[in-house]
Amino acid sequence: MKPLKIGITGVRGIVGETFTPELAVGFAQAFGTYLDAGRILICRDTRASGPMIRSAVLAGLLAAGCEVVDLGISPTPSLQLAVSSVGADGGIAITAGHNPLQWNALKFVRGDGLYLNSSQAEELLDIFHQGEFAKATWDTIKQSISFADPIGEHIQSLLGIFAVDAIRARRLVVAVDCCNGACSLLSPRWLESLGCEVLEINSDPSAPFPHAPEPKPQTMAQLCAIVKAGRADIGFAHDADGERLGIVTNLGEALPEELTFSLATEIRLRKKRGTVVTNISTTHAIELIAARYDSSVIRTPVGQAYISEGLIEHNGVLGGEGSGGVTVPEAHLTHDSAAAMGLILEHLAQTEDPVSELVQEIPRMATLKYNISVEPNRLYSVLQQFRAAVEREDLEVDSTDGLKVMLPDGWVHVRASNTESMIRVISEAKENTVARQLLDWARDRIKR
Amino acid sequence: MRAIPTLKISISGVRGVIGQSLTPTLLTRFAQAFGTYTGSGTIVIGRDPRTSGEMVKQAVMAGVLSSGSRVVDIGMCPVPTIQLQVRHGQAQGGIAITASHNPPEWNALKFIGPDGLFLDAGQARELLDIYHQGEYTKVTSADIRTVDEIDGATDLHIKAILDVLGPLPKLDRPLRVVLDSCNGAGSLVGPKLLQALGADVVPINVTPDGSFPRPAEPLAENLGQLCAAVREHGAAVGFAQDMDADRLAIISEQGVPIGEDYTLVLAALYVLGRERGPVVANLSTTSALRDLAKQFDCPLFLTKIGEVNVTDMMQQQNATIGGEGNGGVIYPRINFARDSLVGMALVLHLLAETGATVTQLLETLPSYRIVKEKMVCPSQLIPVVLKMLRQEFGTFPIDTRDGIKVTLPDGWFLVRGSNTEAIIRIVAESNSEARAREIVSGVYDQVARCVNN
Repeated sequence: MKPLKIGITGVRGIVGETFTPELAVGFAQAFGTYLDAGRILICRDTRASGPMIRSAVLAGLLAAGCEVVDLGISPTPSLQLAVSSVGADGGIAITAGHNPLQWNALKFVRGDGLYLNSSQAEELLDIFHQGEFAKATWDTIKQSISFADPIGEHIQSLLGIFAVDAIRARRLVVAVDCCNGACSLLSPRWLESLGCEVLEINSDPSAPFPHAPEPKPQTMAQLCAIVKAGRADIGFAHDADGERLGIVTNLGEALPEELTFSLATEIRLRKKRGTVVTNISTTHAIELIAARYDSSVIRTPVGQAYISEGLIEHNGVLGGEGSGGVTVPEAHLTHDSAAAMGLILEHLAQTEDPVSELVQEIPRMATLKYNISVEPNRLYSVLQQFRAAVEREDLEVDSTDGLKVMLPDGWVHVRASNTESMIRVISEAKENTVARQLLDWARDRIKR
Repeated sequence: MRAIPTLKISISGVRGVIGQSLTPTLLTRFAQAFGTYTGSGTIVIGRDPRTSGEMVKQAVMAGVLSSGSRVVDIGMCPVPTIQLQVRHGQAQGGIAITASHNPPEWNALKFIGPDGLFLDAGQARELLDIYHQGEYTKVTSADIRTVDEIDGATDLHIKAILDVLGPLPKLDRPLRVVLDSCNGAGSLVGPKLLQALGADVVPINVTPDGSFPRPAEPLAENLGQLCAAVREHGAAVGFAQDMDADRLAIISEQGVPIGEDYTLVLAALYVLGRERGPVVANLSTTSALRDLAKQFDCPLFLTKIGEVNVTDMMQQQNATIGGEGNGGVIYPRINFARDSLVGMALVLHLLAETGATVTQLLETLPSYRIVKEKMVCPSQLIPVVLKMLRQEFGTFPIDTRDGIKVTLPDGWFLVRGSNTEAIIRIVAESNSEARAREIVSGVYDQVARCVNN
């Protein structure tokens, strides 16, 4: 079966297979209908399929009577900020984030700049499936207009929340790998406005992705080399749309993506104690860090919308996920790699600690990840069989999202991916060998 | 009662009403079918200024891109500009987004082949088969091609005209021309072309914002404002375009519409004076064109009604000029398309080089009047009507290629069923309007008796 995911994080698929222009047109019409034909912002990442999907989305939104404001190539967080700043009713980001080149997706943003939550996403799906969309007539149909500089506005708003003078005074040397994604237009400009000396690579939005747009040590070799050669204070790696952030230390070590949020948590809680919000799949190092600063951790299901809602509900001081997404609430309540960079650079500037030393302060756990491809129509039943197997063994479980099993030496989390047709298994322990045993324990109980 | 459907999918393309039948999904599918049909080549896209134009264009671009085709977007422009760009740019096809003279709630796609001509009936059926079959070429991300926005298509069009005809000869006083573009696509090219030719242009209705200052069809009854402006400005001529600038109507220096049939006649008068050769028009064209061709000793070929039939015959006969009686002038040396801009340039050259007024030129031509009627008629009765007329008029020369055309000693009439509605059309021509009306009413009564029996 060809992969297509229609769910809480939007609609996502492979262009030329399941992700067709009709599908994009239909979802745009449904979203326009859902928002009662208001003003809607759109942006896209740099994928080659972007202009095709953009045209389909524009057609669907205009047909539903929306006034469309086109941001062009722009990181998703820039759109999310612009939605609230221009008083739009919502937005559609055309990006498959960290997925490979052949994918694309629509992500739906509501009027407050946050993603639709699960019940709103279900309402949208009902409208899509029902197929009865609002239709503008010749005398009510609108045109699209373009938005001058959403990225400039994004930078302006970030400049207001960090100790910019301190950062500028340090003249930090920062290497950045934009993966030729949407951050090519944001990240070097943001760093320059912070007075950094920027060593940029892969910042051509018209070029294809040089590697998978997923910031992980496996994709950061080139960045490590630049950091070393340029004696940079730090290196940053982006996904395609500006949500996830990877880090390379001043010694040229690519940090596992789990450490991005751990590092951000350490930095944030040193300055401001409070509640940290993360998902149940993220490393338990967060609890260890929070304990040092007398702070608490809230765990949500996996998905940005849940982190945003958790931050609102608990008035959190930081949100984030093990995949490298970090939310700095002063900026906005959504993952924003530029805001995460600001947080880290501010710390480097104010403390003069090299990153490599700060990393020593972070409890390092052995976190292992394993994906099992499953036919889309079998995802739920595979998960149920695993649940039944675990229940027979009378173990402590957490059912916030999928099934997280708490074992004496660590934990293992098994859930269906929101974005791909696979079961994700994550285990964590202090020792790598134990984490490996936990992973195998879970795999033995997952019957495809 | 069953609602009248507003969607028309036919060999002429796909046409419908915005907010009802012409949905973005339908448009995207049609564009995918066309991309599939053209083998994922380069496709030129242009549109008229209707308010729905952008929505339709985006839906079309999405479909064309997903089929692996490259898009050349030439923006808002006349249909003949798109046709010219397809040929000059060696594209594999074009899509014109326009409902030409239909009211503002309509829009449509018209499909153009690599030769710059609209798809003929056979080609259009192939496209429709692909559309209905629903299996379109879909390319993956690596094979998706780009959208190239081109600004210069209208300049190319103006240049193509000037390259062949040149500017007008220098006069003591340049010809003053009032141009009414109906706020259509012609607004973007018409005034520029007329200036480039050296005319003194008074433009009206040249704001292409999607509003319709008058009904778009350039019929005499829709051109009151233009006629008044011609008189007010003491202009030598008035020109009226439709929304997509393929058809042209002419107003004399006295502020009187000369009749759409005479647009082609005046254009041919100029062209045949420069170069002789075959002339092609449809069966419903004024006899003035026949007389003119005879005067220049050129053969005239009449075809079934429909632009494609005319262009097919023009290619077969290697025609010098051709067109339709509705104001569509086709001059292949510049553009193999009905082109109001070419029509304007030809007529202005005629005026400038002869020094005559429009009225004086018409006086040199035989005068005919065409009268048109229509009657509701169930389509199954049409053959019965035609058979009756064949018998009744058996002693006169008869042409049955498209309905029936009977040549009388002092005129002719044509009776044919409509392709699109359950009506029968009756057209007659004679030297006087009274006689033409007499012919029509006589035939009308006979047809009515036959239908009502």
